[in-house]
Amino acid sequence: MATFFEQLINGLTIGSFYALVALGYSMVYGVMKLINFAHGDLFALGSYLGYTLLIASSSWVTVHFGLWGGMAIAMLFAFVGIGLAGVLMERIAYRPVYPAGRLSLVVSALGMSIFLQNGIMAIWGSRPQAYPAAVVPSTRFSLLGLPVTTLQVVILLLSFTLMLVIWFIVEKTTFGAAIRATALDRSTATLMGIDVRVVIFFIFALGPALGGIAGVMNGMYYRAISFNMGWTYGLKAFTATILGGIGNIPGAMIGGLLLGLMESLFAGYVSGAWKNVFVFVILIAVLLWRPTGLLGEKTAEKV
Amino acid sequence: MRKAVSVLLVCMLAAVLFLSGCAKKTGTTGPIQIALQAPITGDYAYEGQMAKQSVEVAVEMINKAGGVLGRQIEVTVVDDASTPKDSAIAAQKAVSMKVVAVIGSYGSSVTEPAADIYEKNKMVSVGYGCTAVRLTMDKQRNYFFRTCGRDDAQGLFFAKYAVETMGAKRIGIMHDNSTFGKGVAEEAKKALQPYIDAKKCEIVYYDAITPGEKDFSAAVTKLGATKPDVWYFTGYYPEAGLLIRQARDAGLTCPFIGGNAAVNEDFVKIAGLDVAKGALTTEEPLVIDVTTTLAGQFRDLYQQKFNTLPDSPWPVYAADALYAIVGAIGKANSTDADTIATTLHTNMTGVEGITGPLLFTAQGDREDVHQVMYEVAANGKLVLHKP
Repeated sequence: MATFFEQLINGLTIGSFYALVALGYSMVYGVMKLINFAHGDLFALGSYLGYTLLIASSSWVTVHFGLWGGMAIAMLFAFVGIGLAGVLMERIAYRPVYPAGRLSLVVSALGMSIFLQNGIMAIWGSRPQAYPAAVVPSTRFSLLGLPVTTLQVVILLLSFTLMLVIWFIVEKTTFGAAIRATALDRSTATLMGIDVRVVIFFIFALGPALGGIAGVMNGMYYRAISFNMGWTYGLKAFTATILGGIGNIPGAMIGGLLLGLMESLFAGYVSGAWKNVFVFVILIAVLLWRPTGLLGEKTAEKV
Repeated sequence: MRKAVSVLLVCMLAAVLFLSGCAKKTGTTGPIQIALQAPITGDYAYEGQMAKQSVEVAVEMINKAGGVLGRQIEVTVVDDASTPKDSAIAAQKAVSMKVVAVIGSYGSSVTEPAADIYEKNKMVSVGYGCTAVRLTMDKQRNYFFRTCGRDDAQGLFFAKYAVETMGAKRIGIMHDNSTFGKGVAEEAKKALQPYIDAKKCEIVYYDAITPGEKDFSAAVTKLGATKPDVWYFTGYYPEAGLLIRQARDAGLTCPFIGGNAAVNEDFVKIAGLDVAKGALTTEEPLVIDVTTTLAGQFRDLYQQKFNTLPDSPWPVYAADALYAIVGAIGKANSTDADTIATTLHTNMTGVEGITGPLLFTAQGDREDVHQVMYEVAANGKLVLHKP
């Protein structure tokens, strides 16, 4: 039984990473109807930004603000940095292509992904980098007999808080209503007096910024970061988004957590070698049963 | 205008193809041409670069000592970019250059298509990092040799060490589903069978992880639940580093043994020295621990030229592939491929390489490749493990 709960915690941790990255995917898709393939690479860039801040200051940040303070500052740095990168990306790579239609947008997003990945490789090199042990909190304790690290608990709490905050903003605030209105119909939203540009700016800042935070947490949790890590996470988060229902905020959270849980339970109880096969079979099964994902709304898409 | 440009481009292309097609031909005078097929770019670029440097050092040593048949050696590099597809192209290129023999390549799945092309063109090739059993045992290749060992030797070494030296009763084996990783794991399993039959040990865990991912906690938890006495991971170092970190975080304390691609400097960096310390690995000896005279000279010259030493065993096997080829040419007193191949198979007594005598079996495998156990020392360097 202890093993089962351990696997549950494993699944929730990895699931919360997927969910945070999936949130960004889903927000951008909901408003822009754009699958932002570069999202995973922004997540990787976030990892590298946090790493660089902690390394460049040769742990100065950690020494002065403590382990948790250093972690918070690195996350804030990645949050702002990746938010800016997201806005910049929209300006450079997406906005000029809007009139050309969605296919061109997708190609542009793929190009952005390749650009970011190679950019990271050019700056930080192709060998994996590691967050030094001195900047990572590593206190271990026993929770109901299960070995957990404080970092793991903080990651879980922070991820859930962030998800709730985003859900609250989108569902319960006036600005959230503007976002939802823009997602439903951009031109009507404009007629209602909503500044669509502000909404788009906000979406492209916040979505990637969440990924940036997830990137730093990921780097701290696993220590090792590599230039091509964005690809795997992007793919998994994209899967989570589809599973939960693309464009749907709670859907992205549930999709991410579910994917993490399925992965660790299957790998833990059946076979690690067949894990991905199983996960994607489940995905296909869900899509056959509910083509718009678990929480996706029925929409008549004009293609 | 546009037409003129395209005509010009076609002409340039033709010229390039022509020039690369009629590259240096080995006659009976002038330097003897040998090709090195290595992953200069791509995933294993780091290994390819070290191989290139090692062969450069070996060429200098051989030429300083007077070359062979009174002629100097010249090595041209062809890049297989770490992929089977580019490997075939690289092999065609080496064939069209009409070199006497080829050194290469590193990865098993990359070497296989190239070995077929060399075989068809009756050109001797000597692999240096390709350890998959099937390369020599699947079908008879008369022109293919390798200076490195075979995965089954590693599996045997592990089995013997784990059961007889460590006295492990419960053994966990983990691989990464790659040709190499799965190969070693299967061989280890096979080698353990006699011990299992004798009720000396059991395999309590046998499963794979997915390379490229970061979270292996599910696999680690599953492994931990089986309470292994020793844990053998046969994949590559990026996953190995993450695995050992996550296992120690989850409270799994059993000894970790990596296969010969799992433990290097990057492994230590990823895992962190605190958990990497004491990790073991089944490996071919590093050049720093080889005691032959040639190894000493090789170390001095390599250090002098590149101010470091290769930190994996494979580059030195590339240099030894050159020693084997040159030794065979000398003994055969000929640069004819068939004569060289026969000499390599049957008449290499007395030919010494950096890693020892260069003798080959009828299949083209190196005889007497020794495996050793390395340990990550307190300073993060690999040292020979004394049980």
